[in-house]
Amino acid sequence: MARMAREKWYDIARDLDWELTYVDYEAVFPEWMCGQGKVPREAWAKWDEPYKVTYPEYVATQREKETGAYSVKAVLQKSRVFDQLDEGWKSVAKQHFGAVALVEDLAAYAELRMARFGLSPAWRNMATFGALDETRHTQISLYFPHELLGKDPQYDWAHKAYQTNEWAIIAARATFDGMMMNPNVVDVAVQLPFTFETGFTNVQFVALSADALESGDINFANMISSIQTDEARHSQQGGPTLEILVEHDPRRAQWIIDKTFWVSARLFSVLTGPAMDYYTPLQTRKQSYKEFMQEWIAGQFLDQLRDYGLKKPWYWDEFMAGLDTWHHSLHLGVWYWRPTVWWKPQGGVSPEERDWLHDKYPQWEQQFGPIWNVITGNINDNRMELTLPETLPWLCNLCHLPIGTAGSPHNEKYPVRSYPLTYNGYAYHFCSRPCRQIWWEDRDTLRDPTVIERLLGGEIQPPTFEGILAWMGLTPDVRGDDAYGYRWARKPQSENRPETQDPGVQAKEFSPPPNGAQAVPVNAMFDNDFVTQLVVVLDTDTVADAARKVAAQVVGRRVPQRDAGLVVRLDGRVVPGDVTVAESGVSALDIVHVGWAQ
Amino acid sequence: MSKPVGPVLRMSDDVDAIVAAIVDDNPDREVTIVDRGAYTRVSGDGELRVTRESIRRHLGRDFEMRQLENLMSAFAGRIDMTSEEVRWRLKNESA
Repeated sequence: MARMAREKWYDIARDLDWELTYVDYEAVFPEWMCGQGKVPREAWAKWDEPYKVTYPEYVATQREKETGAYSVKAVLQKSRVFDQLDEGWKSVAKQHFGAVALVEDLAAYAELRMARFGLSPAWRNMATFGALDETRHTQISLYFPHELLGKDPQYDWAHKAYQTNEWAIIAARATFDGMMMNPNVVDVAVQLPFTFETGFTNVQFVALSADALESGDINFANMISSIQTDEARHSQQGGPTLEILVEHDPRRAQWIIDKTFWVSARLFSVLTGPAMDYYTPLQTRKQSYKEFMQEWIAGQFLDQLRDYGLKKPWYWDEFMAGLDTWHHSLHLGVWYWRPTVWWKPQGGVSPEERDWLHDKYPQWEQQFGPIWNVITGNINDNRMELTLPETLPWLCNLCHLPIGTAGSPHNEKYPVRSYPLTYNGYAYHFCSRPCRQIWWEDRDTLRDPTVIERLLGGEIQPPTFEGILAWMGLTPDVRGDDAYGYRWARKPQSENRPETQDPGVQAKEFSPPPNGAQAVPVNAMFDNDFVTQLVVVLDTDTVADAARKVAAQVVGRRVPQRDAGLVVRLDGRVVPGDVTVAESGVSALDIVHVGWAQ
Repeated sequence: MSKPVGPVLRMSDDVDAIVAAIVDDNPDREVTIVDRGAYTRVSGDGELRVTRESIRRHLGRDFEMRQLENLMSAFAGRIDMTSEEVRWRLKNESA
């Protein structure tokens, strides 16, 4: 029997709805969940999804997708393909699974919230498919790494990561809670399906599949690109919602997109940027991270934004400039603080790789080369303790990424610096002006304490670096180390050296201070370094002592030693070295700048 | 191309046939194809379309339009989908 074409009956079936008579509309669709705002109730009747699918079609298509993904996996499971993958590349997959698998689960809840509180039956119908999609993504993203558990315990973090306090996960949780769980469903639709899924997920799930396939990880390439076919459909909930919102409240629409775009861009610069430009083996890189971002975000997403009558976000120039620096800075941070991640970051700065970086990013050598030179020298001289951290970078109160990484060394326009804000007597610190502005506007919903604040608040015990790692859930068997065993750093003449030994993490105490002294934790910046850091000085220290404590975390580690004295600046003024910290006016949470005396 | 729109197709044996169908169905437009291995980006300026009939002809077998979803990881522009045809376009001509 011939079937009636879908478009002849679809709208009638999809728009089935009823007038509420036994309860108030507001009881069923409360404003705090729905977020209608200035949009009149009847306007939502125009909501029309462009990518239409019926339930029988959905089931048939999803069955075909699942068959395709799992049969490739079944075939490759019997091969030795995985064993032959590059160790740097494996870290791309480990990082992806840990950072993404349970976010997919979170997205299922976001879809379910829209399926319940969406403001038209068409929207609720589409969101129901979206919830089924995200459940599939969670399952597949957990099932694929599960078979690798016996080969490497770091794959356990596919399931574990999101349930820990690991710093990158705190950053992800803050971003995704703000995108999926905290907002009303109108905001969710503009943030998640529109901004995130038609914009950023394409870079992680489609663009990255190009590098995956080239690197020989057919299974991973097949899995992520299969996931994104669902996203291409259910992300279309964003467009109709945005169209209605733009008509009735364009200012709100622009703001939701602007803030979501910024926090997503910050997060992708630690997730996707290092994966593409450092972990993917040089010979298999299809394009640089910047080129992929230009293709998918600066090109495709921006065209889409204009098509809905919206403007570029106010910080556009800063974002574009950041494509040259953010992920390099964050890669350097992840590598230096490698025991704090669940994958093995590949250094990716051998001479050949530096040539590639210089070619793709002409300022790279000037901005990041000097720091990697110091690190490389320490590896070659077997001073491994200087390549490992003893403190933490100061973290942004909005994106939770290290302060300094929204700029770069030797960069006049976007330097390494903190953007402070004192609110109700408390000093908050931000990596950039946009992070500070977004936090200020949304401060009632964005109050996740950073790892630094939790440490200083006594939540992390014992307050040692080892204690921090344990608090993050990082057991010694999964802590990150260099993917290539540091061989990228070795000079040809040093090839006969004994294997470089990782000295492990120093169990340095951040506290307690000696009797009579008070600890003064400061946000310390040293000239030409790439981050600002937590350094705990004492109020009884002289300022010169405090400067040496700051320098000890930087000089010889990332900044070369110089035969010069140190100078301390507070609020732009030089502080004499012979007064005590208490006398100098330096207080807890202050930004203290240390540099070489001229 | 000032307003590129069109599908991004994931790796599959059927990609060449789909691309051929798109080229066939857009005789008056320049179609640009960028092959990055795991995905192929097909773009036209302002609008592209593809019909089920063309895809069937190029694949040499029956094809339901819903099956395009298996292959399409993303797309540029806005989509309109019926049982017989898919269109990618920009709505706002001044965009």
